[in-house]
Amino acid sequence: MSVAHTSARPLLWPTAAGRLLAGAALLGAVAALPWLSGADPARTVLRARSADQNPTPAELDAVRRQLGLDEGPLTHLAHWLRGLPGGDAGVSWVSGEPVMPQVATALSVSLTLMLGAFAVTVLVAGLLCARTVFLGSRRRLRRDRAGGTAAVLAALPKFLLASVLATVCGVWWGWFPSSGWEGPQSMVLPSLALGIPSGAMLGGLLDQALPAAFHEPWARTAYAVGLPPGHIARNALRRTLPGMLPQLLPTVVALVGGAVAVEKIFNIPGLGRLALDAAVAQDLPVLQTATLALVLLGVSAGVLIRALRHALLGRPLRDGALPALHRPPLTVPRSLRWITAACALALLALVTAGLLRDPLQVDTAARLLPPSLEHPLGTDALGRDLLARLGHGALRTAGVALAVTAVSALTGLLLGMAPRASAGPTEVVSTLPAVLAGLLIAGVTGPSVWGAACAVCVVGWSPYAAQTAALLEQERASGHIAASVSLGAGRLHLVRRHLLPAVVPPLVRNALLRLPTTVLVLASLGFLGLGEQPPTPEWGRLLSENQPYAELAPWVVLGPAAALVVLSVLAVTGSVQGRGKGA
Amino acid sequence: MRTTSRGLIAALALTPLLAGCFAPGDSDDGTGAGAGSGGRLRVALAVPPVQALSPYSNDATVLSKLSVAEGLTALDRNGTAKPALAKSWKQDGDTTWTFELRDAEFQDGTKVTAESVVNALDHASAAKPKPRVLSDVTLTAKAEDADTVTLTTKSPDPVLPLRLASPALAILSAKAYAKDGAVSPVGTGTGPFEITRLSGKTKATLNRYDGYWGGKAKAPGIDVSWIADGTARANALRGGETDIAEWIPTAQAKLLDKATRHEVPSVRTDSLILNTRGGLFADAGLRAAARAAVDGSALVDSVFGGHADPAQGLFGPAVPWAADKRVKVTGRAAATPAARVKSETKGRTLRLATYTNRAELPEAATVLQQQLEKAGFTVKQDVREYTQMESDLLAGKYDALVFSRVTLLDTGDAVDYLASDFTSEGVYNIAGLKDPAVDKAIRAAAGERDTERRQEKIMKAEAEILRTDAVVPLVHEQALQGIAPDVEGVILDPRERSLIDVDTHLK
Repeated sequence: MSVAHTSARPLLWPTAAGRLLAGAALLGAVAALPWLSGADPARTVLRARSADQNPTPAELDAVRRQLGLDEGPLTHLAHWLRGLPGGDAGVSWVSGEPVMPQVATALSVSLTLMLGAFAVTVLVAGLLCARTVFLGSRRRLRRDRAGGTAAVLAALPKFLLASVLATVCGVWWGWFPSSGWEGPQSMVLPSLALGIPSGAMLGGLLDQALPAAFHEPWARTAYAVGLPPGHIARNALRRTLPGMLPQLLPTVVALVGGAVAVEKIFNIPGLGRLALDAAVAQDLPVLQTATLALVLLGVSAGVLIRALRHALLGRPLRDGALPALHRPPLTVPRSLRWITAACALALLALVTAGLLRDPLQVDTAARLLPPSLEHPLGTDALGRDLLARLGHGALRTAGVALAVTAVSALTGLLLGMAPRASAGPTEVVSTLPAVLAGLLIAGVTGPSVWGAACAVCVVGWSPYAAQTAALLEQERASGHIAASVSLGAGRLHLVRRHLLPAVVPPLVRNALLRLPTTVLVLASLGFLGLGEQPPTPEWGRLLSENQPYAELAPWVVLGPAAALVVLSVLAVTGSVQGRGKGA
Repeated sequence: MRTTSRGLIAALALTPLLAGCFAPGDSDDGTGAGAGSGGRLRVALAVPPVQALSPYSNDATVLSKLSVAEGLTALDRNGTAKPALAKSWKQDGDTTWTFELRDAEFQDGTKVTAESVVNALDHASAAKPKPRVLSDVTLTAKAEDADTVTLTTKSPDPVLPLRLASPALAILSAKAYAKDGAVSPVGTGTGPFEITRLSGKTKATLNRYDGYWGGKAKAPGIDVSWIADGTARANALRGGETDIAEWIPTAQAKLLDKATRHEVPSVRTDSLILNTRGGLFADAGLRAAARAAVDGSALVDSVFGGHADPAQGLFGPAVPWAADKRVKVTGRAAATPAARVKSETKGRTLRLATYTNRAELPEAATVLQQQLEKAGFTVKQDVREYTQMESDLLAGKYDALVFSRVTLLDTGDAVDYLASDFTSEGVYNIAGLKDPAVDKAIRAAAGERDTERRQEKIMKAEAEILRTDAVVPLVHEQALQGIAPDVEGVILDPRERSLIDVDTHLK
């Protein structure tokens, strides 16, 4: 780890080697999936082709011979690789059709959708930061912001948002098609469903970074000289955006492969669904090609984002003349304390009231009852009390999600400190859907309670690594580090006194904003047998198992969604309170 | 202004990029334009094509549902064979049948001749893996003259005419069969509708085929879209984006207008399979205790929202002859009382499995868990995607499975299902049942040629199977078809083989 900046051009080959190794490792793992999992691909392929076919040994043999499965993973991988330079990715094991056109079409659909989601993301993030930008550029920024709105929006489950949008704007009002992929008008709803939470996440981060830029000496000077607020705002954004840009990769670009639930609800023939279907059927040529597409996408987006960051920061970064961004002391608004207290109280009440009830008691006569005195939050489709299920699920859900987030953040922090080596793996992993990681884990460990947590940890660290690397790069280019070094500070001292304090607070905020997503991703792996099995109550499962009833009995999803929002707001405002005290 | 010009350049550079990304999506949807116009039917099907509509795969039913291709025979409402491309047939001996073809033309303009029938059937026999409907029979076809075909089976096959109605044995023109084994029904069938375009797994366009032997179809064409998500299918129907949506999930049923909801008793039976080969349920007393504890009728109004029938046996109301010929089950083992179940299970937990592919099954499993726990069992669920657990199921790693099974498979004959699921050498014998009396009863049914007596023997076999308590029938499912009020003549078929035919049209 080189702490002081060097004026020489950084070596490029470790980064390139990192990318190549990470991509190769992932593709190797995918290619060996059937042999890792021990699930016979002949069986899964036969099942995918013909659901009611009897899996007789003779039929399985026929499939095996047809696909040449006895040759083992290496032969297959080599064969597939040989075809690639000529644009031939083989034929699908299930359909027998060429893979390349399928993946190319799905990729272009997903990319278009991702661009739509990106537009919404920018819009939402812009709206969230509008107040800070407006006040900051006029030097009227006095009070801190909790970012409650951002926390609420970021906690909204994408699939729930998608099904509400499809029902309300598609079916009730008929503004947009409720499903399908028929040109620009069918992009609107899915883009909103994907973009709003992403925008809230990025906007929440940016909103917290902006005050520091507005309190830098240049902004004071610009204001004193009488430059227009627009000028100051633009430069403040230019100052803060580079720290945020790497988050685009795991938040927006990852939607290309990771929007399966939304693709299903809107019936969009995207890459996420293609990859998932191929993974479940163990259709390796399709799965490998889709993975390769995602890897290439991740790496090229990573390179692009890096170039953009360097263009924005420019010379100061290269010359080590970048002043460090430090948050000004802002007063924490009184209302914040109330919000935090109210959220904590609500959760506490939920847990205590819930724990006194039976979450597993099925009563088929009392299904989908609206909230009443007997069932304060109503009952689900099997007549189980929702309050009980939420209360019993709270500790497990929050505990596992916090643990997974902590492990991911810590891993990300450590890896982000070696930015050149970790850049490749970060880019490769950030576009990898958690389901794919789950499938690989399920292949190795079989169904297990900890499998889901493992799978999410495997892919979950990338946002934090990207953030750490970006912040460290900026911090290292600042004058006070050079000063410390010249005063004889050791590495440990630098890390402890200068680097960590600059990285950890934004990292924590990022982690807390991502907490609700973690809960949902954990639950989304249930169909692979990873995580707690039903009927154990768990918030993510409550949301996904009740989603079909969202329109018939809205309370079955409102309760869990509200609980998730409260948890997220509590985490975020609580951290602001903590910071207020620390400062 | 440096910034402005830079922004302008960026915007200019991005515009073609964006347009480029839109292009594939747009060109793909070109087919959808004008959907629903001029009386064309819009249909939302549930299972996307897996093998480009090859009749040797899951996709085969699409060909019969949309009246694209036909076999030599077809099934009528009662499940007996009726003429299709063959106008008549007769049995010449134990293993030989003669079929007289009718005067018909393929959609590509060629005539349906004995040669083309032989060609189609030969391709089906040679397909790898073999289509399910031919799994237990070896078929040889021979052209006698231009419109007579002789079919010979290796061993006597009393259900051959039923077999030939299977969409997997659809007769396509010679053009359909490629050298590499791929089969394409695009423009090669004989039905009243002709596939003109298939776009991946999302859409297909069908036009009326004017040369159909049975007269011109009333609808000028069909626009098919595949929507895998049940809620999305229901939404498409409610939003007026489609005229017919098949398989509306129970959770969405109540949201649909009563006039658009059509229930069809399905040949699908949901049951609880108990693993007899090891673990808890090797003990007949415990199996009986589980059978006594489980009440499938509790699922009907809750999990299935009333869209199911309480189980009467393995075969439900969709099998019209079953109810009258049902044999009373006798000689069952006595159920272990709840008080003793705890000691008998010796602290072992009951591993209850089910799969997520059918939305109702996990909910049903949770209800059953409570019923079984009341009877003294300790239950642990394992719920996964079907392909993730199939090998574990067949290896007998679970004690019980909530299972949804089609009881009349491709042949339209029930013996096939009984033989694969319950005989000792059955390939789909998840219960691991090895019972000589059951084997004997199923063999007897398989050998019977007379339809009436065959049905009686099938019901005897059902009673034998139920006697062992290896399977506890829970409910008979009903399929829920969503049909817009202005559509007339949609076929509600329990076998899910037909949907649209010549008479289906918009009012």
